[in-house]
Amino acid sequence: MKMSPEFIRAQRNMQPGEITADGFLGDDSRSLIDIIAADEAAMSDLDLAFDDCASQLEDLMEAGRRGLGEPVTIDATWRVKTDEARGVLPSPFEDGVFRKVNATIELVGDASATLRITALSLHLMKRYHFLQGLGAAFRIEPRMLKRVLKR
Amino acid sequence: MNTALLIAPLAISGLSAALAALISLTDKIVNNYGECIISVNGGKKELTVQGGSSMLATLAEQQIFIPSACGGRGSCGECKVKCTTDVGPHVPTEMPWMTPSDLKNNVHLSCQFKVKGDVGIEIPEYLFYVKRYKATVERITDLTHDIKEVYFKLPDGVSTNYKAGQYAQIEVPPYGKIKEPTQRAYSLSSTPNDPNHVEFMIRLVPGGIVTTYVHEHLKEGQKLDVIVPFGEFHVRDTSATMVCVAGGSGMAPFKSIFTTMVEDGSIDKRDVWYFFGARSVRDLFYVEWLSELDEKHERFHFIPALSEPEESDNWQGETGLITEVLDKYLVSDNLKDAEKEGYLCGSPGMLDACMAVMRKHDMEDERIYFDKFA
Amino acid sequence: MNAPDIGLFSLFFASIFTSNILLANFLGMCSFIAISKDLKSSNGLGLAVTVVLTVTGAANWLILHYILIPYDLIYLRFIIFILVIAAMVQILEMVIDRVSQKLYITLGIFLPLITVNCAILGVSLFIEIREYNFVQTVIYSLGSGLGWWLAIVALAAIRNKTEKTKTVPAGLQGSGLTMITIGLMALAFIGFSGMLSVQ
Repeated sequence: MKMSPEFIRAQRNMQPGEITADGFLGDDSRSLIDIIAADEAAMSDLDLAFDDCASQLEDLMEAGRRGLGEPVTIDATWRVKTDEARGVLPSPFEDGVFRKVNATIELVGDASATLRITALSLHLMKRYHFLQGLGAAFRIEPRMLKRVLKR
Repeated sequence: MNTALLIAPLAISGLSAALAALISLTDKIVNNYGECIISVNGGKKELTVQGGSSMLATLAEQQIFIPSACGGRGSCGECKVKCTTDVGPHVPTEMPWMTPSDLKNNVHLSCQFKVKGDVGIEIPEYLFYVKRYKATVERITDLTHDIKEVYFKLPDGVSTNYKAGQYAQIEVPPYGKIKEPTQRAYSLSSTPNDPNHVEFMIRLVPGGIVTTYVHEHLKEGQKLDVIVPFGEFHVRDTSATMVCVAGGSGMAPFKSIFTTMVEDGSIDKRDVWYFFGARSVRDLFYVEWLSELDEKHERFHFIPALSEPEESDNWQGETGLITEVLDKYLVSDNLKDAEKEGYLCGSPGMLDACMAVMRKHDMEDERIYFDKFA
Repeated sequence: MNAPDIGLFSLFFASIFTSNILLANFLGMCSFIAISKDLKSSNGLGLAVTVVLTVTGAANWLILHYILIPYDLIYLRFIIFILVIAAMVQILEMVIDRVSQKLYITLGIFLPLITVNCAILGVSLFIEIREYNFVQTVIYSLGSGLGWWLAIVALAAIRNKTEKTKTVPAGLQGSGLTMITIGLMALAFIGFSGMLSVQ
């Protein structure tokens, strides 16, 4: 599919070494717009809405930040551990800067159900429905999302 | 026929030359802004410059280095300056980096507007003294499993002038998949009384461009660009009790501050409480040095706190989150009624949480100091 | 050289209305459709196109008659006209940047893109084909520019109105409806065509 100049620029910014050392696309060779289209289809198959999931993740991350880097248990269901570094990262779509904060969310009693999110990855999810390429460090896998958020 | 072969290229090159001349002539006339005066910080410094170049480049020519990681391409968003005169509307290339308050306060990226007349700008005063050096790595030490201490030697004969607590920018060259030099800010942990050296504590940030380089590629003897100093985090000259809180590599400015205080003797002249938060014993460092300070200097108190000590650690000290420990001590007899100043260094989340605790105990916002590297 | 026998006044009006460069010849459509979303930028771009058209029209006529024809270099006209247009746009860009930062930002990428606006090259080539004399050239270029300006402002105004109605089917929103609008506008302009002619 043909991409707008905005997306072409974003895809360039997502390459390793541009904004982060490893980039946003992992070892995914599909174009940005195909990744988004595939994930939109996957999300709707699983009956998940981007906005709802993103705001729930955001709440979990905010709650987790209170632990100052220590794991926090929320509603006896989730264990959230956040890690912050100083400074900010720009969005690859060039629409803002985000704190370097990431959170690992896992289900209590089921460590195999784990999600890693960042302030930036939530923005990309909410605004662009972009869950990052396969194999990317902060890829949000829709099936895992359903499991972890218990939807 | 032969002449035709000659005339065609001649005509084209002649016309192109004429047009190019016309363009550069217009450029000379239209873009000649003559001498402009940049008034910095309400007239504290007046610079007479040739107009027409970007503010960033113009200031660099005057030996004032606004922090910039991308070198003026508008892709890092770090070179913000506040303008006190109208320099035109915000351009699309700077919009991604503008917060609502930036827009309201006429803050611009200095690489994205040209000096076209007399302008007024406001920049932090320490920027007047910022210098760029090629520094040689003299020593790399492992402090913990994820924090390294890097000790740089500046070129011979050079001596820096900074206050303990300030930070510097380190620039690493392109490596691996990273194609451009990248700058990041780190607090100085060295003492200003050793002006030919600078030292940093650098924690590995997963996926971080500069920290990965420092941890995996940097070798002793190598040269890196260091730009020093920045920031307004330094000890205020009062007699108030210093309440210092740090976590992880947030130790760096405090190492610098306490070393300097020992050197000039001020460590015995005011009360200092230093709270250091870590998870377990393997995340602690410089404990012996700090405990020794605690024993030797009556008014210096070192309170390490572990949030999750392991059984094998045999930990006797405070346990719990640093905020809980801080909360407990701020109501203790020693600190409750003292006049206090807060000094913080650590992750943004820790800063926010500690600010909240300090506010709760009636410490004034204006007397809590930190560098967020925002 | 035998310039067409046509009154300057009728040439002027013909180039604006009956032979409108956009709606009769359909030249310069790219920026016409892209910029007409917004009335203010349409106005600015219209002005810029008019200025570039008039200046390049005149400059190209001079080059054509004093260099290309005498030295038998007509076959170089495309490349040379484009060179002149590119240079003029460069100069105009500098001037606008100096005079009005606001207009400069509004026009953004479309200012350099005037270089490849077919209306500009088209006018220069029409001037050559129709063998206008210098005065006619200036009048025709100016008229064409004003015609382009008029058309883009009219379209922007219409689009402003149609975008507010909610009854447009989803498939037609945006460029779809714009194309239909342009077609209707072209019909209206061609209604004048019996009255005046450019040659």
